[in-house]
Amino acid sequence: MALSLPPGLTHSEVAFLCEMELVTVVPRQRLESIPLLRGKTPALRPPHRADLPLWLALLLKKQRRANIVPPPWLHPASLAELIHRETKVDPEKFSAPPPTPSRARYNLPGLAHRANDDERQIFSPPFLPSCTAAAPAGYLPYHWLEMAETLLAHAADDMPVPAGEIRGLLRDLVEVRAAKMRAGIGSAGLGGDGFLEMTGVGAVELAESRGFVLGVVDGVRKIGASAEASRREEELEAGDREDDDDDEDMGI
Amino acid sequence: MSYYDIDAILTDAEKIPCTFELDVPDLGYLDNNPTAPLKSGTQLQLPLWLAEMLALQSAGDEGKSFVSIELPPPLSDEVVQALKADPRAVALRDQSAHFYNLATRMLDLFEEKELVEVLRKTFAVRAAEIALHARKGAAGSEEKASNLGVGGAGEEFLRGLDEWERKLFRKAHDGAKAGKEWMDGVKKH
Repeated sequence: MALSLPPGLTHSEVAFLCEMELVTVVPRQRLESIPLLRGKTPALRPPHRADLPLWLALLLKKQRRANIVPPPWLHPASLAELIHRETKVDPEKFSAPPPTPSRARYNLPGLAHRANDDERQIFSPPFLPSCTAAAPAGYLPYHWLEMAETLLAHAADDMPVPAGEIRGLLRDLVEVRAAKMRAGIGSAGLGGDGFLEMTGVGAVELAESRGFVLGVVDGVRKIGASAEASRREEELEAGDREDDDDDEDMGI
Repeated sequence: MSYYDIDAILTDAEKIPCTFELDVPDLGYLDNNPTAPLKSGTQLQLPLWLAEMLALQSAGDEGKSFVSIELPPPLSDEVVQALKADPRAVALRDQSAHFYNLATRMLDLFEEKELVEVLRKTFAVRAAEIALHARKGAAGSEEKASNLGVGGAGEEFLRGLDEWERKLFRKAHDGAKAGKEWMDGVKKH
């Protein structure tokens, strides 16, 4: 038998990938730029903020050489708004992921464009600056839960309010979204359009519910397999008949 | 379906009600009457693998099959009506430990559009319930969560899960548990 590992990434793997996300730090000491595989880090000059990968920021934080600026979406006001939006405004969908950075072009006023005209800039999730101080509030990025947990665990003193308050809001948000996932997978299996929109679901949430969701989808597929097979046969027969008609119409 | 799938093998042994369409000599022992031939019209419970084989094979010139089969008791009208009323209230395990496996095998033989719909709805509604219980189990104490018979209000429901649903419960529970372990572990590094 083959090695039976569950499909997809585990929680710790997802959290490891999350350490590549950029966060904003306020350095307390000077540090020259470091050449890393992903490029040079900015040189740290104490009063100026800089964006660093999370792992490096955590290292500097532990050595008390920098403070981490929490991303705006982790602010209690933003989290409360998200909970409100998830429960009251749009109880069916997950809240949207952050918008792609865009900017107006000088020769086409009034039209916003994706900001990656510049070939050197890449805007896919790990490189998208969605956890820096410049990230928009009110949108959850892909790695929201693991970023929030890590920051709360290691940089609790950098938070604008006591960490317990943020943690409580995060728990609420996690529960709301887990309930939504359960309800969604139930109704998706009921036939009809039979799909669940998962835009905006975070990496940890995916890791948590992957096995279950795949199990449900597989079960529904197996139950419907025989009906599906007979439907295909019917379609195939109908298709054959249509082809015959076409030949006759052409008068051959 | 794997050759080594124990659930598929056990499903093969489920009894299906059959009626013999032909007289078969020397098979009287199936009906506890070794001396006489097996008469046509005899009703017997045969295991699924044998019933399926006999129902699909045609014998003689007329192309008649040996037996005609009916839906087994777990898929009888009463059960289907109960599932239509409330999928969560039926203990599927009491009907058959391999309820869905049996159902899909029977659906291969019978064309029952309505039954497919009922089963799909049952599975989906119960899956949502299973996820809820799995999450609750993970949030509770580790000792309780480690075995399938989680105590409390959901015990009755969880006891009625068939094999597919038990696997589903396990998957949902493993996911929730891994999430909890990871969250506890974040603070340690």
